[in-house]
Order: sequence, then structure tokens, then C-alpha cells
Amino acid sequence: MTEFLAFLPFLVIVVCYELLPLCQLAVSSFTEKTSGKPGFENYIKIFTTPLYQQSIVNSVRISLISAAVGLVVAFFAADLCHEAKEGTRRRFTMLLNMMSNFSGVPLAFAFMVLMGNTGVLTLLGKKAGIPFLANFNLYSGNGLVLVYIYFQIPLATLLLLPSFSGLRPEWREAAVILKADPLDYWLRIAIPNLLPGILGTLSVLFANALAAFATAYAIVMNNYALLALQITSKYKGDVEIDKATGGALAMVLIGLMVLATAVNDCFTKKSTQGRRLV
Amino acid sequence: MNRRSRLFAGIFLILVSCYLLLPFLMTLVYSLFSEWTDILPHGFTLRNYGNLFSDPEFWSSIARTLVLCAVSVLLTITVLLLAMYVIIAVNRNLRGFMQIVCMIPYALQGVILSISIISIYSGTGTFLSNRLLMLFGAYTILVLPYIYQGICNSLNAISSETLLEAAQVLGCGKFRAYLQVIIPNILSGVFISALLAESIVFGDFVLANNIAGNNYQNIQVFLNRRMFKSSGLASAIVVVIFAVVLLITGMVLKLQKPQTGRENG
Amino acid sequence: MSYIEFRNVVKRFGDATVLDHLTFSVRQGDLVTLLGPSGCGKSTLLRCLAGLETVTEGKIFLDGTDITDLPSSSRNIGMVFQQYSLFPNMNVEQNIGFGLKMEKCPPDEIRGRVRDAVALVELEGKEKAYPASLSGGQQQRVALARAVVMRPKVLLLDEPLSAIDAKLRKSLQQRIREIHKELGLTTIFVTHDQDEAMVMSDMIQLFHAGRIEQAGTPISVYTAPVSVFAAGFMGSYNQIDGAVFSRLSGMQIPPEDMVAIRPETISLSREKTAQQGCCELSGTVLDSTPRGNVLRYRLQVEDTEFRVDVLFRSFHLFQAGERLWLTIPERDCLRILKGAETA
Repeated sequence: MTEFLAFLPFLVIVVCYELLPLCQLAVSSFTEKTSGKPGFENYIKIFTTPLYQQSIVNSVRISLISAAVGLVVAFFAADLCHEAKEGTRRRFTMLLNMMSNFSGVPLAFAFMVLMGNTGVLTLLGKKAGIPFLANFNLYSGNGLVLVYIYFQIPLATLLLLPSFSGLRPEWREAAVILKADPLDYWLRIAIPNLLPGILGTLSVLFANALAAFATAYAIVMNNYALLALQITSKYKGDVEIDKATGGALAMVLIGLMVLATAVNDCFTKKSTQGRRLV
Repeated sequence: MNRRSRLFAGIFLILVSCYLLLPFLMTLVYSLFSEWTDILPHGFTLRNYGNLFSDPEFWSSIARTLVLCAVSVLLTITVLLLAMYVIIAVNRNLRGFMQIVCMIPYALQGVILSISIISIYSGTGTFLSNRLLMLFGAYTILVLPYIYQGICNSLNAISSETLLEAAQVLGCGKFRAYLQVIIPNILSGVFISALLAESIVFGDFVLANNIAGNNYQNIQVFLNRRMFKSSGLASAIVVVIFAVVLLITGMVLKLQKPQTGRENG
Repeated sequence: MSYIEFRNVVKRFGDATVLDHLTFSVRQGDLVTLLGPSGCGKSTLLRCLAGLETVTEGKIFLDGTDITDLPSSSRNIGMVFQQYSLFPNMNVEQNIGFGLKMEKCPPDEIRGRVRDAVALVELEGKEKAYPASLSGGQQQRVALARAVVMRPKVLLLDEPLSAIDAKLRKSLQQRIREIHKELGLTTIFVTHDQDEAMVMSDMIQLFHAGRIEQAGTPISVYTAPVSVFAAGFMGSYNQIDGAVFSRLSGMQIPPEDMVAIRPETISLSREKTAQQGCCELSGTVLDSTPRGNVLRYRLQVEDTEFRVDVLFRSFHLFQAGERLWLTIPERDCLRILKGAETA
């Protein structure tokens, strides 16, 4: 029995700093602010207040768009990288690994240098008369989408590459001999076999964008309705912490992430039908 | 692939690479020039770096970041190695629980983690409401998934259970066998995951900003505060931060390579 | 009448010449084996025929037409790969019917032909199974059905059994041979296993370093190797320098020749037999190893070592150290040109 003592430090830390806080978060989200009784007041408030509604909509919108665009770019990048020569592949993967670390506040700052009000590209756009660059407002929802896409691309490509390595060259050769044209090969063989990987990547990207905080905070501060920013603002300052609203908002964020995972699981099961994943 | 599609592939990959490199390279150039109000920057200078390196606040935030890195990663490694002993030597049924608990922080990420800890301990008036304690606790949880994954992979790679049994047959006590046979064998794998975790801690803004804020300013919070005061200085900080992160990632990649080579061969 | 013809085919990958001015032909309806060690170019030749690789020089003809520059899909060829070639997202039926679907066959016809193909490879009841749930042998049978259902002009099998365990391999060899007879399909089979080649083929093309070393029926290639390489690859021939053998046996062999003797043609006895047309050597048993129903002895005759295979019968057991007589029929002492790396 004494051997279980070795488990104790781990248990204490995860209970104190992971499990209990999460439970407390759930509990406080169902605790009414004024009366302290259990109830749905906080959730009703969230779904009826325009600011919070807007935050949820914006978060989902930005996450979906950035995940989708990132995925499309990553799909081609991963395919071409997979088919490229060994050396090219190694260099490109290394670059992806490196640049996937360029995130958070530094990334936000770099985009301000590029596309902020006096950013390099903004000036270039003004000089060269490119309205998209000249009038681009980084400190807005579209600005966030642009920055989010940037950090989704390397992540998505790194996540997709293993799926592409799973495509066996024999499949393409067999398909060619069986008179399939390239489109048939992609639609009937490659994409169905990539699908679990694609959906899994999409759900990771979506969750990743939903939970992203540093980039958004550095760019728009609290001047834009975004779930992650709204949640955090409820816990700022020692004096007044709004556990009830914050907890409910946090639960909505968790719910959205769980939903993304569940949808992914459901589709993956469907797309793999009866077959085991090899 | 024929020559034309090979050319197209090369161009596409180069375009993506340029796109990925552009923000950082621009920031690098920006940090090295005094003015960039035209198409081309002018006035090459190292003044931004000079100012940065002579700023005591920069050094203290670096020091705080390093303390955070060291303490949280070491603590997590120690606690996980102890817990892993129970899992491989005493009770395997706990593995499922451990797996879930260790992967939750990966899914939740910083925002939820930080506010849930603030939510439960802040304002309780006990020693737990100490912001620093909360911060270290949070970082310990943040790096949990990475270290856990590293330890698990290393244990699988050496087939730890067989090794442990072999040591016991040779008359070695279970715990001693774990300390003297298993741990030395997984150390290099754990070291790689520790480096990875360091890069996570070094790159973190959410936890430090939300939990400690100005009480314990790490390098990222420092950057965020300086960003609107002096963009020249901020660009130098970005370059320094990314250089450190690159250094760590480079070490991870370098250390990982011979290992995969051994597995293949 | 040659059905498939390779004329002076050369294939280079960069500086490496994989196929070196190959010329040979295949008769309609034959099962021809391309046999050789790995890396000798036999798979490359197959892939050139299938259109998966382009030839550097030379021409390939199939059924009277030049197919050298035709794309794979127009060559009317069926191919079975080493492994992993089934589409994992399709079940057995869908895999087999894939090519017909690409040909835009009417669904009714597809159903009928797939049913026949499933029956041909004896996989009834597995139609709805996915490749991941099939054994290696079953997967290769699906691959075979997928190839023959297209009624190709020629069926190419690229080491289809090399990833399958020994017992199952035997029965699949049998099945492939039967299917070949049933359909009369011209078939080219690539293998590095000479036993497999012996069992399966009408003709063997023995490959070595991008060229054909020897061609012929299995029996002729086995009993009359034309080169040191062929003798070494086809059986475990004893290969003895001509001058050495002259000294041992008293036969007159020119020193520029090698003598190749199959181990099973030598007989062992304690007494001298003095048979007509045989030479007799005296040697000492070094050791013996059982190999299935055959016992292989190693004997030392002066400075030369001989391998001798004897049917495993208990009254024939000799002990290590025993002095014995080796009786070798002179007609089984094959002479091979020493430098004869090529035919």
C-alpha cells in the first residue's frame, strides 16, 4: 500500500490545479449571482445579452473561417510536400516546425508591423494604390481572421502530413492500371482515405482558434467581442470577479470544443464504416 | 510527377514558406532600422537592442521566465515519474485515469485553465490565494500533457515492464529497479519533452497575464506592455523571444533525429 | 508467335542501368516467370510493361501493337502488386468492381462479373469485408480477382506471394496456376524464389544484373545451367574448378571450365561400386544436416568440399569422420565456362 504514496504528489497537484478548479467552474456557472441558488440564470443572461451573443458568433465565425482556409492551404502544401524530394520535404517540415512556434503576442506584433495603421504593407498599399492593403483594418474581426489563418497553416500542414504518408503509392498505380483518371483517384481513393485525418485536423484547428487568447488580446485588447476575451475580462482585477457569468461563458467555450470533437468522432466513424483504421 | 507539375509544386511550397517567414523577417528588419516610413527602411542601427539589453526590467522578466520554466518543468517531471512508477509497477488500472487527466490541459489550453484557477482560489484569503502559487500550479498543469507524452513514449520504447521484471529476477527491489534501470534509460526522451515544455512555457502569455499580471511579469507580458510604448524596442523583444524559442526547437529536432534513426535501423 | 515482345529495352535511373538491352518474347497463354535476385531489374521490366515506368530505349510490343508510349490505362493489362494495393476505403466487391466502374460498365454486368471473379478466387461470403479485416492471403486473392475481372491481355504478378507465410504460399501458388489454366491468360510472374519459379512456370527467364542470363523450361534451366550464376542460383550446385576436378577424378576437363554437379546426383557408399560411366572419389564426412526428406552431407575430398543430398533413410546414415566413396555419373558433371557471367 505504501507504494501508492508515490502517486500522491501527482494526485494533489492535478486535483488542486486542474480537477477542482474545473468542477468549481461548472458549479459557479450554475450558481445564480445574487441569490447563490442553483439555476440557469447565468446561461439565460449569456444567450440574451447582445454582447455575449456576438462574442459567441464572432468566435465561432473566426474559428471556422480560419480553420477552413488554413486547412485548404495545408491540404495542397501537405500533398506537394509529400510528393516532393526528400531534401525539400525535410526543409519544408523544419520550416513548419519553426514557424508553428511563432504565435501569441510576438505574432500579433509582427502583424502590426506588417499591416497595422502605419504597417509596412499598409504604406506599400497606399503608395502603390492597392486598396485592400491600404485600407485593411488589422484591429477588427477580419484582421483577427488574417492572423489566425497565419498560425493555422503550419499547424494544419504538420497535422495532415502523416495522413498523406499513409497514402500508398501502390494505390495510385493500381488505380492507373484500372483505368482511373487522376480525378477518380483523388475523389474515390485518396480523399476517402485522408478523410479521418482531414476531419481530425479541422476539429483541432477549430478548437485551437476558439481557445486562442494572446494574439487576439494583443491586437484588439478588449475592444472586440470574442469569447476568450470576454471570459478573461470577467476575472481581471482582484476586487470584482464575476464568477457566475465568466463560468457560464467558459462552459460555453468548453461545450463548443467538445462539440467539435464529437462531430469529428461521428464523421470519422461514418467515413470509416465497418473497416478498422490501419 | 512530370517537370511542369514539379515546378508548380516547388513554386507553391516556396510561396507558402515566404508567407510563413514574412512576418518574422519584417519584424527583424524593423528592429534593425531607425525608420521605416517609406517602401525601404533606412538608418541601420542596433540601438533597439542596446536599449533592450540595458533595460533592467527586461533582464528581470527574463529571469522570472526562466524560473517559471525551470520550476514548473522540474516539478512536473518529478511528480509524473513518481506517479508512473505506481502505474507500471503497482497498479496498471490507474493508467486510464492518468491518461485523461494529463490530456485535459492540452484540450483546454490557457484561457480556461487560468480563469478556473483564479475562480476557485482568488479572494479565499488562504495561502492558496497567493498569485505566485497559483501561477506555478497553473504552469505545472500546462506542461503536463507534453511531459506525460514524452515519458509514455520513452517507457514504451524500452518496454519498461519487461525490464522491470528482469531487474527483479536479478534480485533488485522494484523501486530501486525503477530508479536505477528504468529512469536512466528514459532520461534522454524525458529531456526532449522537457525542452518542448520549456518552449511552451517561454511562449506563454495567457497564464502569466491572467493570473499574475503585473505582479510577476514574464517576458511575454513585458513585450505586451512595451508594444504600444516603443515599437522599435518591442520588435527587438520579438526577435529575442523567437530566437530563444528557435534555439530550443532546434535542439529538440536535433536530439530527436538520432533516436528515430535508431528505431528504423 | 510472340505475343509480348521486348526489343532492345534499356532502362536507366540516373547513372544506373537497370535494364541492359533486353530482348525476349512471351508466347500467348504462357505463364512466364522472371526469376532473379532482388535488384536485378525484373520488377522494373514488369513496371515498364505495365506503363508505370517509361523505357529509356527500345520498344515493347503487345499483341502486335507497339505499346511503348501508350499510357497504362490503354494497355489493357492487369497487375497484382507485392502488397498493400487494395483500396482500404472499399470492400471486396467495390475493390474488384473498381476497374469496371472506371470503364463505365453497366451495373448489372459489373455485378455479374464481380460475382464470377469472387468465385474464381474462392472468396464467397467475404464480398462485404474491408481489406483491413482480411488476411494477407485473402487480400492477394482480392487483388488477383480485381486484375482478372478486367479480362486483361496479360496479367502481371509482381512478387505477389512474397509477404505471405510459407504454408499459405504453396496453396496460393497452386491456385494461381489453376486460374491461369482456367482462363488461359498470358501471365508474367516475378519472383526471387527459384522453388516458386519451378512450381509455377511454363518458361523461366533467369535475370542477372539487368540482362537475361538463361531462358527455358524449368527443367532445362534447372538441369542445364549455362553459367556459374545460373548454377549457383538454380540449385546448390557443387562448383569445382576444372583443373581441380581433373586432378580429383582423372577426367579431362579444360582448366578454363568449371564443373557443376547437383548434390542429389552424387551417391555415397562404403565400398567402391565401380559403375560404368561414373567417376569415384574418396572423401571424409564432415557433417550432415537434415533438410525435409533429404539429408545433406558435407564431405572433404582432398582439398575440396562436396555437398551431397541423400534421401533420408535410416539405413543410410553415415557418421562424421567416416571415409566414403562418392559416385558421380560423368553425364551429370556439367561444364560451364568460367567467365560465363552472361549467356
